[in-house]
Amino acid sequence: MTEKEKKTVVETSGTAQKDPRRTDAMRKTQRIEAIMEIVRIVAGMAIAYIVALLILVAISDDPVFIVKQFILGPFSSPRRIGSIVNLAVPFTLCGLSMCFMYAVNKFNLIGESIFMLSGCIITWVALAIGQNMPAIILIPLLLIVGAIVGAVLSFIPAIMDRKLNANVVVVSLMLNSVIAQLAIYILRYYMKDPGISFIGSYELPKQIQFATLFGKMRIGAGVIIALIAVVIVSIIFFKTAFGWKMRIVGSNPKFATAVGLSTLGISFAAQLAGGALAGVAGATEIMNSYKRFQWTASTGHGFDGLLVAVLAKKNPVLVPIGALFLAYVRIGADVVNTSGDIPYEFISVIQGIIILLVAAESFLSGFKNRLIYRSVQADKAKKSA
Amino acid sequence: MAEEVLRMQGITKIYPNGFMANRNITFGIGQNEIHALVGENGAGKTTLMKILFGMEDCQEGKIFINGKEEKIANPLDAIAKGVGMVHQHFMLLPSLSVAENVTLGVEPMKNGLFDYNTAVKETQEIADKYNFKVDATAKVSTLSVGQMQKVEILKALIKGAKILILDEPTAVLTPQETEELFEQLFKLRDSGVSVIFISHKLEEVMRICSKVTVLRRGECMGTYDTKDLDESKISRLMVGRDVILKIEKEDPQPKEAILEIKDLHRYNSFGKAVIDGVSFTVHSGEVVGIAGVEGNGQSELSEVLAGLSEFASGDVILNGKSIKGLSVRQIRDNGMAYIAEDRMVEGVSGDMSIEMNIMADRFTKPNYKTGLFVDAKKIRKETEELIQEFEILCDGPEQPVRMLSGGNIQKVVVAREFTSGANFILANQPTRGIDVGTAEMIRKTIVRKSREEGTCTILISADLNEVLECSDRLLVMRKGKVVAAFPKANEVSEDTLGEYMLGLKSMTPEQMEGLL
Repeated sequence: MTEKEKKTVVETSGTAQKDPRRTDAMRKTQRIEAIMEIVRIVAGMAIAYIVALLILVAISDDPVFIVKQFILGPFSSPRRIGSIVNLAVPFTLCGLSMCFMYAVNKFNLIGESIFMLSGCIITWVALAIGQNMPAIILIPLLLIVGAIVGAVLSFIPAIMDRKLNANVVVVSLMLNSVIAQLAIYILRYYMKDPGISFIGSYELPKQIQFATLFGKMRIGAGVIIALIAVVIVSIIFFKTAFGWKMRIVGSNPKFATAVGLSTLGISFAAQLAGGALAGVAGATEIMNSYKRFQWTASTGHGFDGLLVAVLAKKNPVLVPIGALFLAYVRIGADVVNTSGDIPYEFISVIQGIIILLVAAESFLSGFKNRLIYRSVQADKAKKSA
Repeated sequence: MAEEVLRMQGITKIYPNGFMANRNITFGIGQNEIHALVGENGAGKTTLMKILFGMEDCQEGKIFINGKEEKIANPLDAIAKGVGMVHQHFMLLPSLSVAENVTLGVEPMKNGLFDYNTAVKETQEIADKYNFKVDATAKVSTLSVGQMQKVEILKALIKGAKILILDEPTAVLTPQETEELFEQLFKLRDSGVSVIFISHKLEEVMRICSKVTVLRRGECMGTYDTKDLDESKISRLMVGRDVILKIEKEDPQPKEAILEIKDLHRYNSFGKAVIDGVSFTVHSGEVVGIAGVEGNGQSELSEVLAGLSEFASGDVILNGKSIKGLSVRQIRDNGMAYIAEDRMVEGVSGDMSIEMNIMADRFTKPNYKTGLFVDAKKIRKETEELIQEFEILCDGPEQPVRMLSGGNIQKVVVAREFTSGANFILANQPTRGIDVGTAEMIRKTIVRKSREEGTCTILISADLNEVLECSDRLLVMRKGKVVAAFPKANEVSEDTLGEYMLGLKSMTPEQMEGLL
């Protein structure tokens, strides 16, 4: 809306009832709320780092070096920066996937095993029919296969939730172990390459092993898929009727029902869409970062996706930022692990603290309320002057 | 003037959303006084009382009790300082007896255990003292609403309350129960308890209160002796202009039947009939009011009509088509609009923008789309027009609804429901808890739409004044049945209505013949 339009709206709505307490103060309040949201996240991260540093001081022989490595290490070489981006690609896609689940308040965690099985299935398809197919056909085909795998798998918890009222969290968690074992079974019995020293499939056709971009940074072309996905999902969320429906259903299902939206159908469809995206994520990750399918345990990407979606407040536009941050923390842990005496698990402590503080909505709320109070006071003083 | 027992001095309260609910309010109450606190909803009455009762803190201001400055930290603290409050929504444990509820927190003990017999004795003593007719051993779940309210008052009295706050106590009572309450309030007053009486009903205020403090938009408009005022003066102080308490309307010209309800039955999960054979017809161009004590099947009926719940037998025909088995969408497309009973639950989504809330029922329709996308321009334009038309006070279409006041939130609801193109409007408590100005606008629009556009309306309301003024025909529901029908609502007195609501009287099917 342009400034001029904004003004007319305020004026016209103001003519009806002059209520001096409201409009100005409220607009300021909205701004304070927005600023405090950022302050809260930054403060949460800062506190998490301080705690991490304190622990490091206690357990490391060379805390200063470790601290430096942890904060600056991820930026110390183009290769490491590239690694952050590469790691952020599956985080972004899985985060977008969880945005769909989270938008309709269904914590369907099936994305975790979809990621793995999708990677497995597209490898199998590529090995079976893709040897001589050009990349321009094969890559979209594999992404679609991955999406179908995801949609089919997420159908199971979604339909059980809809028809049997089975808790979607429990069903999806239980299914995760089943599906992960299925992927391992396919790997071992249908596509294991006996010529390599570890368990892995035959090598993928060369034309679908993604090229790396930006020279020394070696960023995989998967980042393009991730960015396209962010744009498409954002458009779905904010510009299409389906996105509007999802957001209304998620924010107040009873209201959605009362105005005639099919609450069950919409949350069902959102879960399928989220599943499809998790499938795309698994397919992309295999083509982006691997030569073979070689996962013999669940990768944790599905849960990371939930983390990213929470950090991004289920806003797809913010998902890449959340994903980059998570990737930065993970690479920092990697650096510390290889160059120091600190175990990788240490990082889960920091993650936990960050999520706690970011997710805790009341954190710093007293400070926020004081700011709001002061601004309203200042307003009042100005008016009476 | 009697000695001042309470003084609230310069109270300012700003909520975390930036809303200044109280602005420099000062008022005092004398001993042996029933003091009315009046104002539109959203004027700050409840906030002020919550501050007094320690449920909210304020940024500025002082509270003096018996001339001594007190800081009230929480409700326990307030009780200790002699302040008691009876909330609009009762806070009772239904599975326990009256005595157990009343003595909760001040339980008489014997050998380290709760002494039930003494509790009953103490409760009965205090009840008898003030002439409260309640049985101390009865379970609260078996009591009527009026009796539950007495238990709430007893709860405050047994803890030694000298200042009793009653937040809209008569809203849930029938006229007969209201009379009884007033008698008891006079008794309390004469025995030295000061009562703060919050009410919308100005004739009650005029009758029982000696003083009245008027709030408007968070500010105090002054304290007056009621003998110097009349109802229209008070309402002018409350809203800053004259409010016409009566709705001018022409006689209805009912035409074809739009909604036919035929022998409708619905049962709750315990197999009890909550709608028990209801039949009536609503025609184009008329407003049918449904009165009744809350919980007598009105909410259940409204859920069925809105398509939010199923029914066991019978039928509902809307515009010639049965709604059985239809989705809410299909029923809405067939001409139904629904103003929900609880606006924050079914009427709006608080975190969503005004725009999405107003457009929630229609953005899925083809004429609000361009290709794959919603037609953002058209939606924005229509939203802005509706914000103007319904005078929604806001910062713009993107402001979250939760930041608005109750009346403006309800305007968002009616901006959607009145413009959906429906010819049947189901209005369930459309003006509950909102300011007089907005309530008046909503009532007038309901009547105007029926006269000018020929809509048929069902108006369910606990506000007797509202059903009597707005409705053409009036039905009374009790225990899931229609027990009375009146051809002209504005010729029925509140007392008559009360007798049917309470079940003291009921009409035979023959008497209601032709009125359903």
